[in-house]
Amino acid sequence: MRRALACLTMLGALLGCAPKQAGPVQITLQRFFGACDAEYGSSTNVAAAEGECGIVTTLINKFNAENPDIHVKVNVVYWPGYDQLSAELAAGDPPDLVTMHQSVISDYAQRRLIMPLDDGLASVGVSPASFTRAAREGVMRGGHVYALPFDNWAPLWQINMNLFRAAGLVQGGKPVLPHSPEELLAQARQFKRATGKPYLLQSMVNEPAAYARNLFTFLMQQNAVIFPDPHHIRLSTPQAHRVLALFKQIYDEGLTSKDQDYTAATSGFLNGQGGVYLVGTWMIGAYEQASKQPGSPLANGYAVVPYPQLYPGRDATYADGHSWVMPTAKRSAQKTRAIFRLLRFLKDNDFEWSRTGHLPAYRDVIDSARWRALPHRAGIAGLVDAATPLPPGVQRQFIIQQIVSEEMESAITGQKPINTALADAQRRVNDVLFNLL
Amino acid sequence: MKARARDAASGEALSGALFVAPYLLVFLVLLVYPLVSGIWLSLHKADLFGGSQYIGFENYVRLFKDDVFRKAVWNTCYFVLLTVPALTVIGLALALALNNGTRRSAVLRGLFFSSSVLSVTIVTLIWRMVLVPDGGLIADLLASLHLPSVPFLSDARLAMPAVALTTIWWCIGLPMMLFLAALQQVPKDLYEAAALDNAGWWRTLLRVTLPSIRRTALVVVVIEIILQFQLFGQAQIMTLGGPNNASLPIVLFIYQIGFQRWDIGYAAAASEILFCIILAAAMTQYLASRGRS
Repeated sequence: MRRALACLTMLGALLGCAPKQAGPVQITLQRFFGACDAEYGSSTNVAAAEGECGIVTTLINKFNAENPDIHVKVNVVYWPGYDQLSAELAAGDPPDLVTMHQSVISDYAQRRLIMPLDDGLASVGVSPASFTRAAREGVMRGGHVYALPFDNWAPLWQINMNLFRAAGLVQGGKPVLPHSPEELLAQARQFKRATGKPYLLQSMVNEPAAYARNLFTFLMQQNAVIFPDPHHIRLSTPQAHRVLALFKQIYDEGLTSKDQDYTAATSGFLNGQGGVYLVGTWMIGAYEQASKQPGSPLANGYAVVPYPQLYPGRDATYADGHSWVMPTAKRSAQKTRAIFRLLRFLKDNDFEWSRTGHLPAYRDVIDSARWRALPHRAGIAGLVDAATPLPPGVQRQFIIQQIVSEEMESAITGQKPINTALADAQRRVNDVLFNLL
Repeated sequence: MKARARDAASGEALSGALFVAPYLLVFLVLLVYPLVSGIWLSLHKADLFGGSQYIGFENYVRLFKDDVFRKAVWNTCYFVLLTVPALTVIGLALALALNNGTRRSAVLRGLFFSSSVLSVTIVTLIWRMVLVPDGGLIADLLASLHLPSVPFLSDARLAMPAVALTTIWWCIGLPMMLFLAALQQVPKDLYEAAALDNAGWWRTLLRVTLPSIRRTALVVVVIEIILQFQLFGQAQIMTLGGPNNASLPIVLFIYQIGFQRWDIGYAAAASEILFCIILAAAMTQYLASRGRS
């Protein structure tokens, strides 16, 4: 009995001391863009994938297949996922790579919650010089690169050309676009008279950002200074009043859809409920697919253009971008190398990602013939110059968008006078910025 | 003899303390400590990721000046007024109707309780499908009658009643079960005596049933007050607190301030206010009922 116990003890000790079998290095990647495992769960055919979710899923599958020494474990979060990330950071258990909007990077970089990537990116041959201007401005803070840019995006005018044609708003095969607020109203009225449908489709319910993006775009077009400094916003201005008055008139005259949330407006455009859907680059791929389906209200009748310039200041559109950040944590050198190999892979596949509709984050892709050959890209190429993010030093940009959108909604739907809503938005945003530690 | 009695008493006290100790420990660690540290945090300007500065009662002053917070307090009280009486009355009515041994009542009890086991996400998705003006169930019914759809979730006057309706559907199971349990405790001889006195259904209800389940009614009201003051998921998923903060409850306000703005000192101050409101509401109800009895 005693001998048997001794043998068991020795066996246990030997097993305990045995070196662990070296497996692949595991990287935890946390992203939004949705889940589509049923369709793309095991696919590595990136070229055949469609949409944000399909392309990013197959990209990660392909990386895992081509790099047997690394395993990327994906954690999909509900958009935008920052509440979850904040909780993980507070608990000291962040993932290794996270999708992050470039407008949010300041919040995390300021508190050193994400790591500068300069040296790591250099080690895999990625230089900030290869980024587009918008991408470089989006991911650099204080002279350091805090993220690998993945794309830039902006809200666009997605157009149902079949309805535009019925309204007499197509000339030479191209949509007739407004060049002033007055022209916008005139064309919207003409559209409604001809089709009986609203000119604009908008996500107006449960909408945390779209109103603010419209306001910022048309303020930029008037050369208005939105943030005189990173701690103050300026909204009680004639320029802002002008924009809200325009959208209120559009609402009051029934020239826009009402009471639709994002899902309803997105499918409403597919179903031919209106002429122009104000939504970002990410829908180009899906609507392009719909335009190829016979019988669809968009069949052979889909176009997409940047926001038209309504004010004689400059051609500008509010823009943001997606990027990959590395939360601050202790990691082995092996794991860090693996993360940068993945980042290099994502950078090398930026063209595939740009098929979603987003603007490429790298100059060689945006200058390439194959990107320009993608449907509608020539029409939105101008965005490369027009895309204008908010000043990078401004923190809490998501919260700011939310507050501004709330107050804009109040004004446009008639719950508050425009001046009161603008004053309230300015006061509330400045309160948030004032109380930052 | 006395010494032995003293020893026995102290032994009893010790074993009693040992029995209470685990609960007391959990109570102190999970309730008292967070409460005290929350109060302390509310006196600071503090960031979720470090950095804090003692500012006394400044967060409370800021709260009382904050239009959005004041609106959230009103919204929450309005929501409690919409839901708690309805949950109590409907729960009691269902319990009275289903307090019998028939198979149909057993099935209906299960059916009415079944909504309570669903998660808030499922419940709100179901009700969104009912309420949305673009293809929702009610909109389709109205359309079949050639009536315009009603924007329940985007009209400032209707958003909170829509959230309340969803909540009543979701939460009706618990009050119904509590009332059923209480009704089954009422001695049968009271009903026999009432029947001998030729008391009708209404008189029996007022003179026998309701007095007998008075304490349960109090429990239901207090529990529901405490639960409904903590409205969060329904408002977050259905309306995001909108439009124009018309359906923003206090807990969603706290969540947004603490986890999205990282202003946890301010969020802690709002939490303390909510704690005081719930305590006051529940205690008022409790003391009022005790006074009557």
